[in-house]
Amino acid sequence: MKTLTVSADVAGTVWKIEVAVGDTVAPDQDLMILESMKMEIPASAPQGGVVRRILVEQGEAIAEGQGLLILECN
Amino acid sequence: MSWTPELDELARRTAMAQAMGGEDKVKRQHDAGRLTVRERIHRLVDAASFHEVGALSGVGKYDAQGRVQQVTPANCVFGRAAIDGRPVVVVGDDFTVRGGSADASIANKPLMAEDMAAEFRLPIVRIIEGSGGGGSVKTIETKGASNLPGGIGTTRGFWRMTANLAEVPVVGLGLGSVAGLGAARLASSHFSVMTKTSAMFVAGPPVVARLGQALDKQQLGGADIQTRSGAIDTAVDTEDEAFECGRRFLSYLPPSVHALPPVLPCDDDPQRADQMLLSAVPRERRKVYKMRPIVEAVVDRGSFFEMGRNFGRSIIAGLARLGGHPVALLASDPFHYGGAWSAEACQKVVRHLDLAETFHLPVVYLMDCPGFMIGLEAERSATIRHGVRAMAAMNQSTVPWCTVIVRNAFGVAGAAHQPAGRLSLRYAWLSATWGSLPLEGGIEAAYRAEIEAAPDPKARLAEIEERLNALRSPFRSAERFWIEEIIDPRRTRALLCDFARLAEPLRTPGPARFAMRP
Repeated sequence: MKTLTVSADVAGTVWKIEVAVGDTVAPDQDLMILESMKMEIPASAPQGGVVRRILVEQGEAIAEGQGLLILECN
Repeated sequence: MSWTPELDELARRTAMAQAMGGEDKVKRQHDAGRLTVRERIHRLVDAASFHEVGALSGVGKYDAQGRVQQVTPANCVFGRAAIDGRPVVVVGDDFTVRGGSADASIANKPLMAEDMAAEFRLPIVRIIEGSGGGGSVKTIETKGASNLPGGIGTTRGFWRMTANLAEVPVVGLGLGSVAGLGAARLASSHFSVMTKTSAMFVAGPPVVARLGQALDKQQLGGADIQTRSGAIDTAVDTEDEAFECGRRFLSYLPPSVHALPPVLPCDDDPQRADQMLLSAVPRERRKVYKMRPIVEAVVDRGSFFEMGRNFGRSIIAGLARLGGHPVALLASDPFHYGGAWSAEACQKVVRHLDLAETFHLPVVYLMDCPGFMIGLEAERSATIRHGVRAMAAMNQSTVPWCTVIVRNAFGVAGAAHQPAGRLSLRYAWLSATWGSLPLEGGIEAAYRAEIEAAPDPKARLAEIEERLNALRSPFRSAERFWIEEIIDPRRTRALLCDFARLAEPLRTPGPARFAMRP
């Protein structure tokens, strides 16, 4: 099984985590909502799969390119 | 008297050129999943359109009687050809001969290709593989002296590399490993493409290893690195896609600065009003939306050609057609910092506007910019200087300009939405909102005393926000004629096509007032 790290396109904070470990997600599904420049910016699944690990916590400050979540791809 | 022997020799020598570096080397190229330079040219240009110049050049081996045994061709292949029926110059490195390196090259060949493009006013496509510079360090032994870069005989090659950017469209295709001068010729273009299996670097892994960086070619200069850094505009999966990208880019441009971009017949109704546009922007200001479908909805169907997607991503840059008229298009991408201009986004804007100015393309800007990027990183990357540079590029431009304010226009970057000091067209969507400062955070600063003195500061903050929100309707700005027109977003395409028609006679051929830099 191939795993994939979904990383943040923008620096900001983790505003909302919308999935839990073990969840099956569809391609393009929002996984987290980041807050950056006062905007809610979703981080979405590049492909479908199962959430294996969540690497950040709600409220955490994140850097651009930082890993958010590990997805096991379908 | 017959010239049969010479005719035969011409045929034999031509065949040697066609054989390139020999069967083994050609097989190696193919085994690595790459085409030879001749196959590349063949696939890039219109069928049977390639007219080669200098096929006989190379290094000959002769027997004791002075009869030619073998000619190893020079590792640069060039000539004239046609792309979509329009003449171009194509110049390619032959990696099967000494790995495309300069020790097997004849410097005057690539130089003449550049001269021909400039003097015949034709676009040039550079197919680049290898280093193409001073050769390997072995060259010191074969020549018996060390190359002073740029200093042998003439500086014309480097001069052309600069001058052609202000004369003719220059396309660079990086197919394989590209280093040194090869990398410079690739980056010094109006539009550069690489395949995802290619790599580009100033110097390759063995040299970089001496810095203590153990990286393979992909890790050092693969497509991910080079498209994100902005050194390369576009990465594609296959060489055929690279050729398609090059052809497509040229289709929007004139053959040189001395001509105008070609207007094509258009079967997409200029009045087409996509219903989706009315709900494209969410009412909730904190929510983002996808800009690319908006772009696709307003330009001629299928005509949007994006460039540099991985770099300076808060700005989308590309070429498109409106009623058949080619334009340079800029659009904000709220998914990246809400569309705020980072230092990189500003560099992207400068390069795109310079391209537009050089080749007489009217500019369309679909704007949603909350300002320049803020924060420590932004300060460290000199966002404000890159920002005023982008503004300068805008204010120095002379091509016709039309801006559609889709949502935000705030701060100094908000002012950077139309060229200052001359007339341009401007429309605001119903969702448009603007100000010197965004309300969020701005209220606390401006009304601090009032808020602190209130019995319930939070409630007072909300009250002030509501008061100000009521005043920031774009209709109030329109009353004062601070914005000329507020439009139903569904009319955008019709208005942009109208702009392109108005702009057509204003486009003026000739060199731009400045020479574009890479």
